[in-house]
Amino acid sequence: MMLALAIQAALGVAGLSPAEGSWRAVLDLAGGPLRFALQIERSSGLRGRLCNGAKCQPIGARLEGGSLVLDIADYAATITAELRGDSLSGAYRNVGNRGPRTIPFRASRGRWPITRAPGSLVGRWDATYSQDLETSPRVFELRNGPAGIEGTLISSTSDFGPFSGTASADSFAIGYFDGSFVYLITGRLQGDTLRGVFHAGLRTQTPWQAVRSTGAPHLKSPTEITSADTSAPFRFRFPDLQGRLVGNDDVRFKGKVVLVDIFGTWCPTCHEGTPELIQLYNRYRGRGLEIVGLAFEVSGDTAVDGPLVRRYRNKFRISFPLLLAGTSDVEAIEAALPQLRGAGAFPTILFLGRDGRVRRVHAGFHGLAAGAQHQRQVREFEVEIEKLLNEDEKRKQ
Amino acid sequence: MTRFLPFVLFAASTLAAQMPPDVTMERSGFVAWLKKGPNSPLSAVAQQKIGDGLRLGPADADIPLPGIDEYRVYPSGAGIVLEGSGGKRPIGRGGPYRIGKYALFLAGPQPGTVLTVFTDTAGKEPPGYYDYDASMVFTGPLIRLETPKPMRVLASDGIEVQATEVGSVVVPLGGRTSLRVLRIPFAGGDESDLEIYFRDESNGDGTYPAGRFVSLDPLSNGRFRLNFNRARNPFCAYSSVYPCPAPWRGNTLPVAIRAGERYSGGGLQAVPTEQPAE
Repeated sequence: MMLALAIQAALGVAGLSPAEGSWRAVLDLAGGPLRFALQIERSSGLRGRLCNGAKCQPIGARLEGGSLVLDIADYAATITAELRGDSLSGAYRNVGNRGPRTIPFRASRGRWPITRAPGSLVGRWDATYSQDLETSPRVFELRNGPAGIEGTLISSTSDFGPFSGTASADSFAIGYFDGSFVYLITGRLQGDTLRGVFHAGLRTQTPWQAVRSTGAPHLKSPTEITSADTSAPFRFRFPDLQGRLVGNDDVRFKGKVVLVDIFGTWCPTCHEGTPELIQLYNRYRGRGLEIVGLAFEVSGDTAVDGPLVRRYRNKFRISFPLLLAGTSDVEAIEAALPQLRGAGAFPTILFLGRDGRVRRVHAGFHGLAAGAQHQRQVREFEVEIEKLLNEDEKRKQ
Repeated sequence: MTRFLPFVLFAASTLAAQMPPDVTMERSGFVAWLKKGPNSPLSAVAQQKIGDGLRLGPADADIPLPGIDEYRVYPSGAGIVLEGSGGKRPIGRGGPYRIGKYALFLAGPQPGTVLTVFTDTAGKEPPGYYDYDASMVFTGPLIRLETPKPMRVLASDGIEVQATEVGSVVVPLGGRTSLRVLRIPFAGGDESDLEIYFRDESNGDGTYPAGRFVSLDPLSNGRFRLNFNRARNPFCAYSSVYPCPAPWRGNTLPVAIRAGERYSGGGLQAVPTEQPAE
């Protein structure tokens, strides 16, 4: 206690907040610790960064009494922790229909040591989850990066990552926490097979096993998950952030190749995908590409969703229109966009030809952490856009 | 003892008689939500299945809401629409959708989507908890069913969900009592909980008459912890607008479990008929 007071006094003399600095942070899940890093610094007030490996995101930070409060505004989540010298102890919370999801949180000063994965673990693994009656495919990619072992979890519709953590000769534990997703993958190599547990939230544990990928497809193709009516131009009409109705028949989209991005500000994978769309927009806009983002948010209330989408637009400096399309459950999406079938992956990107009809539906997005799969996906987007831009001008409406 | 009863849960050490920090945090967060959350079940004033549609507002409406002009909530295509004098808009699960001082939330998939209306929680207090009792914590194995059984049940919030009976645990209370364990999903996502809906001799005498829910916590060694101090009421204990889950067949302990959440009146008084869950 005396030492803690002495440290606080020293920090105070230096004009620093006692919360400032690097923190080794942990969410204590039932099946083990999920590690991540926090950086707290002062500009006009306190501000923070939440880091998974080398990837960091800004978060709000403030002191209330003897506690540090971290606001993860993108996902309406908070971490509240009592600050005692070199340690933080408290809880992460976000609220659902059955009450708050509460997960114990702790942190100590310093940086996580860097551990590297042995060659026997590095690479691409085809995994199968088994829970009660169901099995489902996933792909893991394990590699070494600047912050040590990194990993990516890829499902048929998206990637989750970058995971980071620790490894030993035959086992690993890597986690990903961004304020919404709370994921931990633990595994051990037994012969040629990796076996382990996927932990989601505080208590959900799903066993899995994996073998080295042969290159054969293991996941469902993202173009086979959602379908669309292609017999007529794709219709949408929603208010933009100024309240003006914008629809598919606006002159802005007439005769253009249009990418319709179905996204939500609450969706981490959408945060991964948006910068790629901006790059495509900058590259192809002059040749006739338009993009429109349809935001499906949690509340459906313009007063709540408008500021969130405006913040998202400013964060990424998006210059194409973002429209407030409704709420983010399957029924609401299909009611708002009745020409879609099987919608539900976020983001979903529709490629419309110059005639306004859907030519391709791409469910989900594989972000940078997905490595080769990300590169292949970007190349597929480019090929599709090139093909649509080059379509016969007679098909323009 | 372990040698003779290998599948029974055992009382965890009673040395740690104080409430563990994770239970403290869980309780404080839950109580704060009950007191102030926009969808706190203490503030629920109406709940109905949307069916073909509902009228809200006027005194003769399906859900009268004093001081509110007429609104309609009805299915449209695959979704739900909220229509008032200002126009109509699609609405989905989550919320809130605000109408005056009321907040609307939708839950459950179509068909069968349920609308719940909330107002403020003024004057309502959460029922509180028994003192922490370290003798009510047990650890041991989950006896898994060879073939898990899918079934539809009401979750603690009264919403019907597709659950899976995964097995049972045996607790050394009143002899050896077997309790069925179901995996109950959260709305969407990868998360679910292993849940036990149980009854005991305290029901109606300090705890809710229809029984309480308690989660089975997986431990890192493949075993599980059953902590009755984490027992919690179904939402029908907070407000009678919620349908009450019928007790699960079997799951009755022949002793009083004076641990976990109390009950102090309100909600649904009658005990529903035991569920013929098979």
